[in-house]
Amino acid sequence: MYRKATARVGIDVGGTFTDVVLVTAEGEVHTAKVPTTPADRVIGAVAGFRRILEISGLPASSVGFIGHGSTMATNMVVEGTGAPSALVTTRGFRDILELRRIARHDRADLYDLSFSNPKPLVPRRHRFEVTERLNHRGEVMLPLDMADLEKVAEEIATSGVQAVAICFLHSFLNPEHERAAAALLSARLPNCFVTASHEINPEMGEYERTSSTVMNAMLGPVCARYIRNLGGGFADAGFNGELLFMTSNGGLAHADLVAARPVLLLESGPAGGVSAALRVCERIGSPDLILGDMGGTTFDVSLVRGARPELRTSSLLHSYTVRAPSIDIDSIGAGGGSIAWIDAGGGVRIGPQSAGADPGPACYGRGGARPTVTDCNLVLGYLDPETFLEGSFRLDLEAAREAIRVHLAEPLGIGIPEAAGTVRAVANALMAQAMRLMTVERGHDPREFTYLCCGGAGPVHAIDLARELEMRRVVVPPAPGLFSAVGMVVADRQVDRQAALERELSGLAESEIEQGFKELEADTRKVLLAGGAEGVDAVLQRRLDCRYAGQPDSISFEFPDQGYAAIRAAFEGAHRRLWNFDKPDQPVIVNNLRVEGRAPTGWRGDLRLAPSGSAPEPWRERAVFAQDGYRRLPVYRRSDLPVGTVLPGPIVIEEQSSSILLGENDTARVDDALNLLIDL
Amino acid sequence: MDIVTYEILRNGLYAAAREMKIAMMRTAGSPIVHSGGDASAAVFDSEMQLVAQGNDIPTMLGSAVISTKASVEAIGRDRLRPGDVIISNDVYLGGGNHQPDVQFTRPVFVDGDIIAFVMTRGHWTDIGGQAPGSYTAMTWDIFAEGVRIPPVLLYREDRPVEDVMTLVVQNTRDPSVRLLDIQAQYAGCFVGDRRIAAMARKHGVQALRDAMTRALDHSEQLMRAAIRAIPDGVYEAEDRVEPVAGPAGWPTAEIPIKVKVTKSGDSIHFDYAGTGPQTRGGINCPFSVTCNSTWFTVKAITDVSIPINQGCYRPVSIDAPQGSLVNCAFPASVVAGNTETSPRLIDLLLRALAPAVPERVVGQSNCGAFSGIFGGADPDAVRVRRTGRSFVGMIDPHAGGMGARADKDGVNGIRVYVGNAGSTAVELIEQTSPLTVEEWALVPDTGGAGEFRGGLTSRRLYRVEYEEATFTACGERGIHPPLGQFGGAPGSTFACEIRRGSGDPVRIPAKAGHEIVHRGDRVLMQPAGSGGYGDPRRRERQAILDDLRDGYVTPLALERDYGLASTEAQSLLREADLA
Repeated sequence: MYRKATARVGIDVGGTFTDVVLVTAEGEVHTAKVPTTPADRVIGAVAGFRRILEISGLPASSVGFIGHGSTMATNMVVEGTGAPSALVTTRGFRDILELRRIARHDRADLYDLSFSNPKPLVPRRHRFEVTERLNHRGEVMLPLDMADLEKVAEEIATSGVQAVAICFLHSFLNPEHERAAAALLSARLPNCFVTASHEINPEMGEYERTSSTVMNAMLGPVCARYIRNLGGGFADAGFNGELLFMTSNGGLAHADLVAARPVLLLESGPAGGVSAALRVCERIGSPDLILGDMGGTTFDVSLVRGARPELRTSSLLHSYTVRAPSIDIDSIGAGGGSIAWIDAGGGVRIGPQSAGADPGPACYGRGGARPTVTDCNLVLGYLDPETFLEGSFRLDLEAAREAIRVHLAEPLGIGIPEAAGTVRAVANALMAQAMRLMTVERGHDPREFTYLCCGGAGPVHAIDLARELEMRRVVVPPAPGLFSAVGMVVADRQVDRQAALERELSGLAESEIEQGFKELEADTRKVLLAGGAEGVDAVLQRRLDCRYAGQPDSISFEFPDQGYAAIRAAFEGAHRRLWNFDKPDQPVIVNNLRVEGRAPTGWRGDLRLAPSGSAPEPWRERAVFAQDGYRRLPVYRRSDLPVGTVLPGPIVIEEQSSSILLGENDTARVDDALNLLIDL
Repeated sequence: MDIVTYEILRNGLYAAAREMKIAMMRTAGSPIVHSGGDASAAVFDSEMQLVAQGNDIPTMLGSAVISTKASVEAIGRDRLRPGDVIISNDVYLGGGNHQPDVQFTRPVFVDGDIIAFVMTRGHWTDIGGQAPGSYTAMTWDIFAEGVRIPPVLLYREDRPVEDVMTLVVQNTRDPSVRLLDIQAQYAGCFVGDRRIAAMARKHGVQALRDAMTRALDHSEQLMRAAIRAIPDGVYEAEDRVEPVAGPAGWPTAEIPIKVKVTKSGDSIHFDYAGTGPQTRGGINCPFSVTCNSTWFTVKAITDVSIPINQGCYRPVSIDAPQGSLVNCAFPASVVAGNTETSPRLIDLLLRALAPAVPERVVGQSNCGAFSGIFGGADPDAVRVRRTGRSFVGMIDPHAGGMGARADKDGVNGIRVYVGNAGSTAVELIEQTSPLTVEEWALVPDTGGAGEFRGGLTSRRLYRVEYEEATFTACGERGIHPPLGQFGGAPGSTFACEIRRGSGDPVRIPAKAGHEIVHRGDRVLMQPAGSGGYGDPRRRERQAILDDLRDGYVTPLALERDYGLASTEAQSLLREADLA
């Protein structure tokens, strides 16, 4: 199936641009960037595909594979544009979705009385109840009332919804009622997308399970349409290979799977970056990376440990809870377009307002008058007005200086470069804090990690961030702005499955756990390899979620190599790592079994992302501001640097939309995959 | 100091508080701390001024301003060594807000000097006292509310002081869970200490001290600017709090609460003269609680974006008569002053300040309605083995309505103001306690009508599976409904009922002693709703229609609450398919 002799294409559909990379059978890489059509993202994706064929000069028939990622699902949740949906619950509990956990943890400010509570994902008029009830052991207390359900089906039929989510109490322990309800509703509502909670998130916690299932329902009809149209669009362009979709866990999955579980697409965009980072790990021999992606409005941080992505099982998306295996990613509002301002007490603040792509920073010359992080970087010499985006887009230095003078320097009573330097330092502090929280909160020491930066603005801050966290190495991949799209090409297929157990460890027989894992593994293997990867060797990893009795949240850890007898020790090791203590006398509850399945189908060969240069000579000089004023530094073009180049600082290395500034004692080296490795 | 270092350190202090809270929440044994998040963390300078806090529970953080100073002074700062942790909960000896909130305070040493303090505070689901859950308002005095822990060392140089620990946990009903809570709060302090010390080593002790001073001045300056924008004047309001329902001879008179707010220039003064004397039962407010309610209100009506620290409170002065409901003296009991009377004070202040800042105030809210509390032996042997607990105390925070705002409806089913603990999952309640939850739903028509409607309350109906248990209700607004603002109508009052066997439901007052319940009994808890904002006749037709369709209001409300002509009401009902 894996036609090594064909080209592969990765497409990352962002909010503003669609990035495309094509890798030929020989590892030669072509790249393209086309505008996204927000109203119909298929248009941009197909246009990108056609464009990359033009650029590479290859016929569509020579492309055997397209990997696709998109922020579409996330945007649908944020913008509330999912399909109108209904919710069916146990009688007495239709308001769980609205009451959530009654607290205001996701409220920006606890003292704010005028906050807007997030709208319930399903309006109350479309939330229905049926008589049925299981107890906390999953035993039937009240049988499912089929007549009740028929009535609900009739009401839903006339309500105009396109999808139905079903979530009954304790269904994760016994899906019998949900299954029966789903069967009846699917039969009565043939035009509706019907989804039940035991399939989407078989796990304790009725609010979180309901919310995840409802999100799956809302995304269902729209994503199904998208997947169909996308396939059609590529086919019209002559493509007849395999189309896979990037899912939140950093792996690719077949269209049939994501069409049934579109909730897996929520981190589809950024997950591409993590997949690409895994290949960088293998290449440079550093298994532990912090990945920092700095774009126009946000800075996203995620982790790779032991050459595997750090995953989490629950996320808060736009204040809605979703439980699905996802790369563990944290976002703060400190991107290049974030606006810097002075508060009434003379404090320097950044964001949350952003100039976005339009009007963009003041230096874009499109009417933005307030200073952004990018404007400050320009004034400080971290960006070059003439070579930004290879000179295709000249930056207006004077506009940046003026914005900084009026809004920052004069109110602070300091010079323009000093004001810009302050903003840069504060932005660095915020980003470093996000990186610290991402590691320290999870019990890791950031000093043991390598910093991998990507995103258009990523390299500009990378060295300062690494220094702040006392990290010793920074890696800048080739074409850092297209990193996610590269990920779509190199990612493996991956499918995760889980089953609830909710049993005390000491009362569980080894055979019960073994049986549970065997069933999950068979299911995982089937789904993982279906539709094109039959015969590929799957790598299956067993995991367990456990907690001490009395604790509500569990810890997820790898099933120990030593087997069943070592479960308790493995759990306690994970508990100690996270929380510094264990409780040897406390009973341990096994909540969930999990299996992570991976099929090594991603591109493994070299990627020649850029032509290797031949002349490691500076092509000009540039003034860069440091504490004591501007100094002129030699500027190298990254595209001029051949494999094996070693350059000591202080110098500037410049590329498409950013530059890297090496300090006195830093050294940059170009490895044979054209990664820039900088040792601090 | 240069602005760069300042901003880095200032942000770092808040991040440290956030890290402390996370460490605590993820380790705690009580569901209320763990998933409810009823816990807080803060950082203080070496003079015990609060310089940074997490986005946690306002009531815990405001009162920590007073309790941290009290804790350190009680021990004597000269006696403190690196790795010491002071525990305290007592209102009178340690400046606490109420006994179930236990504070851990730890000095941060660098090179032999104390450069800061960090504190964690968690709500313990049992602290001993008269009834399981330690949350009954019908108490004679503070001694009935649980173990009094004056500020004492619980850790000496990072080693537990075992005698104290044993004495404390054995005075609670579930010692094993308490030990988890203790480890959690210790972990939070430990993380905070490490972070702050690392910042001091990196940037210098003096730089950190300067940054803390400047952060306080900075917030004070912002707060003064915000207060200056409020029209000068004197603003007053008065209300009444219902007494605790006790046995014969117990005081039955309502207690007046009264405030006079004087806003002048860049400062604001609150005088509670005229408020009634402290009373029998746990509804009194220690001064720390009154300060906290006042500070909360000032922050809410000025500028929520001001970085929160003790500097915000410098322009605010407070007079509360000694021995009154809002500044009670030993040995008055206090447990619900913190959760029920305190939000009543905020409602009072918002009412007083409505003419000054009409766009910032809200309709009155459910006010606490903290909980139904169950306690008893678990009859299910399988579960006992699984949870490790033969005695199950279950505190379940409830969701009421939050009042309507000047430009939008109130919020349905939420904790308001100074409280922010979350509810426990129904599935977790049933898995860990002998209770079945039969219903949890919003209740229509409980949000006061208005141009903007008050938020609805919710009801939770339990079936008791304990053989025998105590049940304690602790709510507010059983008699006085939450009023609307500027013509908005009041919301519903608090309701609690017990139906024993197949008998008739018996109404339980909002604040009373504990009841005994048995297997098969049903208990209903329904906090108060909330008030509307503006004249109901100005409500948009579409908004009323949407409310009808979503069942937030019933057909009865159209003429009764919104003053619609019957033809108009009929036409709306037809459109909503309800005619």
